[in-house]
Amino acid sequence: MLHWIQYLRGYVTVRVWGYSVERLLNLCGNHDVLVWDIEDHGDYHTMHISIAGFFALKPLLKKTGTRVAVTGKYGLPFFVSQMWRRKLFVAGLFGCIFFWCLASRFIWDIQIEGNFALTEDVLMDYLEEQGVHTAMKKSGLDIGALEQELREDYDLITWTSVQLRGTTLLIHIKENDMPQYDNRNTAQTEKGMDLVAGKDGVVTYIITRSGVPLVSCGDSVQKGDVLVSGAVPVYNEDTTVRRYQYVEADADITLSYARNLSLEEEIAYDEKCYTGETIEIPVVGTGEKEVAFRFRKVPYAFYDTSEEKKQVQLLDHLYLPFYYGSRTVQEYEIVSKMHTEEEMKTLLQERFRKIISTLNEKGVQIAEKNVTIKKNEKKWVLHARMQLEESAVKLAPTTVTEPVENSGQEDSQTD
Amino acid sequence: MESLKLPKDTMLGAAIVTITGNREVFIENYKGILEYTTESIVLQGKNAKICFEGSGLSIDYYTNEDMKISGKIDALRYI
Repeated sequence: MLHWIQYLRGYVTVRVWGYSVERLLNLCGNHDVLVWDIEDHGDYHTMHISIAGFFALKPLLKKTGTRVAVTGKYGLPFFVSQMWRRKLFVAGLFGCIFFWCLASRFIWDIQIEGNFALTEDVLMDYLEEQGVHTAMKKSGLDIGALEQELREDYDLITWTSVQLRGTTLLIHIKENDMPQYDNRNTAQTEKGMDLVAGKDGVVTYIITRSGVPLVSCGDSVQKGDVLVSGAVPVYNEDTTVRRYQYVEADADITLSYARNLSLEEEIAYDEKCYTGETIEIPVVGTGEKEVAFRFRKVPYAFYDTSEEKKQVQLLDHLYLPFYYGSRTVQEYEIVSKMHTEEEMKTLLQERFRKIISTLNEKGVQIAEKNVTIKKNEKKWVLHARMQLEESAVKLAPTTVTEPVENSGQEDSQTD
Repeated sequence: MESLKLPKDTMLGAAIVTITGNREVFIENYKGILEYTTESIVLQGKNAKICFEGSGLSIDYYTNEDMKISGKIDALRYI
């Protein structure tokens, strides 16, 4: 306690030498000058003395014929005057503390843990929609509500824990490991679903698992025709329909249909030839706006521009809305060229092969194909006639409904 | 005088010396410092001089009435 008072009021250490130090000490005592920690070093004495005491010392020194020299200054008054000389430093210190306090009121980082099926991007976009983002105020965040919204909006999430750790928002979720069942189909089954042809064609294969097949192998069908009905009739004894049992029709059906295809390729073509002339322009930007450090026009007639940008990043996740990079402008010339026969062939075949592989990816099988290539001076044309097989069927709500049921009832009444 | 039970130091002006072990001395009612070195400190009492002898003696603090000395004390003599 005494030390604190001494520090607050300030004191100096002095070295005293001369004729009679003892007399000086006595005078100090009589004049209420506070002196402590007096030590004898033979030639001189050292002591601690309060600031006020030091100024009262002058007449006493004269009287006793001793001399004094200050060896150290301690305490708050000296510290303050020292800091007063370093105004900018103190201002910086306070500015730093102020900024620190201000910045700690915001969320600067969002971390998500425990997500497997839901990617971090999806959750981040969702949080953005909910108004939760980096650089938002902590006070604007309702943790309980956010936890609840996460659970409600994603069926996959079974448990959530949101916590603020410093300026980091930590979101911990647990996903449901159990498989999810889709209840929509069972709901619609009550109304009944038909299988309908998605294309014109000939039925080449049909195996029905549920429903009533209305076509057989070899039948021609048109787009929209019902192939398997989802209304299974229940008959009376006299083979009239009593009522319908509605199911979701399910069958393996293959439709065969012809498709014509023609691909054209011109022999003459333009090619981009880069001249090797490039210009690099540094770019700095924020948000939508950007500044390119070039004020003259690009001197090329034809050119490509490509940009490479990097965003300013502070921590792992904290990106500031500033980016920098460079824009490269490459000059090119357009040169007219002619394909050789070999090139034309491979070009056309490559395009045709791509079409076939996309068909295969869709599950379409090619039963037959007949390819011819016609040449003339300007272009080559590839004609292909293909017989395709595909299970082109769609589910549609069954059209057989109540009126039929009513007529059935009427029938039974007439009986 | 005895029957009044007044404190003797105030009545007689006598110095009170409290010695803790041999390392610390607390003196009240002294009149002044006569000599101060690391080996000896001589104080003026009302009727006698008080002399502390030892080594590494230093004055922790002092006011007009009291004083605290620390260091190794070998002897206390009244001269």
